[in-house]
Amino acid sequence: MKKTKSELPIFYETAHAELASALEMLAACKGTNSQNQALGYFMHAKDEYNHARFFFNMLSKRGNLASTEIARDFRFTPPSLLTKGYISNKGFLIDTMKLKDFIAFVYTNELLAKSSFENILNLVGCSTEEGKIISSIMKEELRHHGMAKKHFLSHYPALQPWQLMIYRTRETINNKGRKIYDANLKLLDQLLTPLYRAMAFLAGTIAKKLNLNEFRRKGKNLMNISSFSIL
Amino acid sequence: MFIGVTGYNHESSAALVDKNGVLVDFYREESLSRIKGDKSFPKRSIKKLLDTNNLKIKDIERVAFYERPLSAFLHIVKEASLHMPKSLKLLTHQFRNFNRSSVSCYLDFAKFFKGLENKLIYSDHHLSHTLTTLAYSKTKKDLCSVVVDGFGDRSTASISQIVDPTEINELWECPYPLSLGLFYSAITDYLGFAINEGEYKVMGLASFGDSNSKSAKLVRRLMNWDSTSNQITSDMRYFDYHLSTSNSYSSKLEDLLGPARNPFVQLIPGDSDFQRFANIARGAQDLTVYLLGKIFTHAHKITSSRRFLFSGGVAMNSASIDTLAQLPFVDEIIIPPSPGDAGCAIGAAYYCYIKSSYYSDLNISKPTLFPSLKEIRNEEYLTEQIIFNEFSVLERNEDDAFLKAAELISSGEVIGTVLSNSETGPRALGNRSLICDGKNKDAVENLNTVIKNRSPFRPTAPAMRYETAKKYYKLRIEIHDCYKSMSSTCKCLKDNVSLEFPTTHVDGTARIQIVENNSSLDKLFSKLEPLGIEILANSSLNVSGDPICFDLVDGLMVCSRTKLRYLLTDLGLLKRKN
Repeated sequence: MKKTKSELPIFYETAHAELASALEMLAACKGTNSQNQALGYFMHAKDEYNHARFFFNMLSKRGNLASTEIARDFRFTPPSLLTKGYISNKGFLIDTMKLKDFIAFVYTNELLAKSSFENILNLVGCSTEEGKIISSIMKEELRHHGMAKKHFLSHYPALQPWQLMIYRTRETINNKGRKIYDANLKLLDQLLTPLYRAMAFLAGTIAKKLNLNEFRRKGKNLMNISSFSIL
Repeated sequence: MFIGVTGYNHESSAALVDKNGVLVDFYREESLSRIKGDKSFPKRSIKKLLDTNNLKIKDIERVAFYERPLSAFLHIVKEASLHMPKSLKLLTHQFRNFNRSSVSCYLDFAKFFKGLENKLIYSDHHLSHTLTTLAYSKTKKDLCSVVVDGFGDRSTASISQIVDPTEINELWECPYPLSLGLFYSAITDYLGFAINEGEYKVMGLASFGDSNSKSAKLVRRLMNWDSTSNQITSDMRYFDYHLSTSNSYSSKLEDLLGPARNPFVQLIPGDSDFQRFANIARGAQDLTVYLLGKIFTHAHKITSSRRFLFSGGVAMNSASIDTLAQLPFVDEIIIPPSPGDAGCAIGAAYYCYIKSSYYSDLNISKPTLFPSLKEIRNEEYLTEQIIFNEFSVLERNEDDAFLKAAELISSGEVIGTVLSNSETGPRALGNRSLICDGKNKDAVENLNTVIKNRSPFRPTAPAMRYETAKKYYKLRIEIHDCYKSMSSTCKCLKDNVSLEFPTTHVDGTARIQIVENNSSLDKLFSKLEPLGIEILANSSLNVSGDPICFDLVDGLMVCSRTKLRYLLTDLGLLKRKN
């Protein structure tokens, strides 16, 4: 049970990440002007969808063994892709990045994904059925990485592989930075929670005294109420 | 041009109405982001409205948000503040996320569509629902609007009298937190399904339950109707949706009904606990039908109207509509194809149109069931390589493609469709559907379990022409339009062969679709009927957990990810290669 409890967040988050990747690739497929790129993004999205399905299945297996109380916390709802930041509120990467940066991002993150799958592989064991599937997913991630590299160098022949290395290093640092930021944010959140609660208590005490009855609509023509009022 | 917008609380969407009162275009954000239930600010939908219709910000006269943001915020805070310290977590959440709530819609407009924020007005939440439904009604005067949802602005249900589109008087409301919609969601949550997504599963599960069982009777007592005050009553100790961000029901409900279901455990008829959960779903469904009956009766009493508009999330409870239609004072019930919050964008856009003082002669045209405009972008060009690599084109000519699709269906195949414009509402009506012979048990089972991976207790809807429907089902004239958008179930005729159809639910009902004349399915039936097929099983074209397909790329992706082999498209009939 303890192992299940520790595995649930890993598969939950990984499934989110893979599904978000699939959506990013699908958006890229729809946004490109090149037929060949559309095909490439389409196939990539299909792979990522399959990876997501696999991790959701793994999540489901573990969730089955967990208590209802714990399992409820790991029930997937699609909007959490946005609230958890796997898809940016600003839009898909293809819409917010330059194409060159987007490809470099894919190139780097496919490799980073592969390394995080290595940790999952250690968790489930290489020789298990799940381990074998993870191994094949890792191969696919490497393939995506290779394709992104090829794509990048063929579209930007003036750039040298070492420049791609710079992109990779930059993205690796960014990723580490995001993790540190996230961890600190969580710590900060824990530290500040009592303060937030105290402020909410104060605001709640004021809200208790609010009389909202005058905003009731009973007996009123709804079409006559000011259309500029937010109350 | 007028834009209506919904978002932040439930599915977000945007609608465009022109100066002639015609719904020109409509998009759900989830269709474009591919995130089911996407409730973020509908920037993609608004952008698409503008791009597809070649509009600039200056061409938009007004834009309306579908609710009064501060009202919704304050009513939740006020209620939670009465239950401190238990509700402190919810209060903290509300205040910390103030800038992410609908209060920030002005800022989001300013950020993503500079200039539109100055044209922003606000409609009441339930008024937006009412105006959406009004658009789908043939007559626009002397009607009664019943809105029942989870929560909107200040109330959870309301009754309004529509004198004409410029005079809509609210006569009754059910104050938050008493809420039929949130009660149903809490039971959905208890039964292990996701709120705002699993309610239709509860409805399907209810058919396996027994109204006389102990569990059903216990649920049935959770809410009631007080005939003296004409109000819904509820023992709120069983619910936490107004006090907590994570729990919709309290531990007291588990004490009453037994442990809640683990969402990851499969619910299969015959398994232990299946009957208990089915009985609980039955109780929730019975209570919903009972309370809706009371609300409609009260609506008739205070408005004397016999013609009703019904909207809000609870109007999606298609299993209750047939009973409402049998109330002796009901002549007609109109339900829009998208009665939930996403559809409110249409009402909000019409709110702008009506409020615009330039048009004294109001003319609200009845919108089509398929309003989203097709891509400007050449899909044929974009998908050429994908189709070349992954699919073979069986027939390019439209007529031949439909004929070949009909032949495949008659031989037991399942076909996906991505045809013309997409549907308004959550139900696929043929343009974004998975279809097969509705009388072929193996084909329906293949569609349900192999391709869609649906829960075994959920039925598949049958689609047919009106003449066919009359032969098999007890149709009610009062809700005739509801059958066109799959908004109501109906009973099979007594001792009729339809009771044996694989699309008939365990309780002898079916959520039928009567296909519209000249629609894609109507055209397909003209090829199918000579082959002896008069009923199609119709399910949405998507993979479980995803939104319904929107464009051809989505359709090709579903085909690639599932065992679906055939796709009927505007480019012809495609067959997956592997």
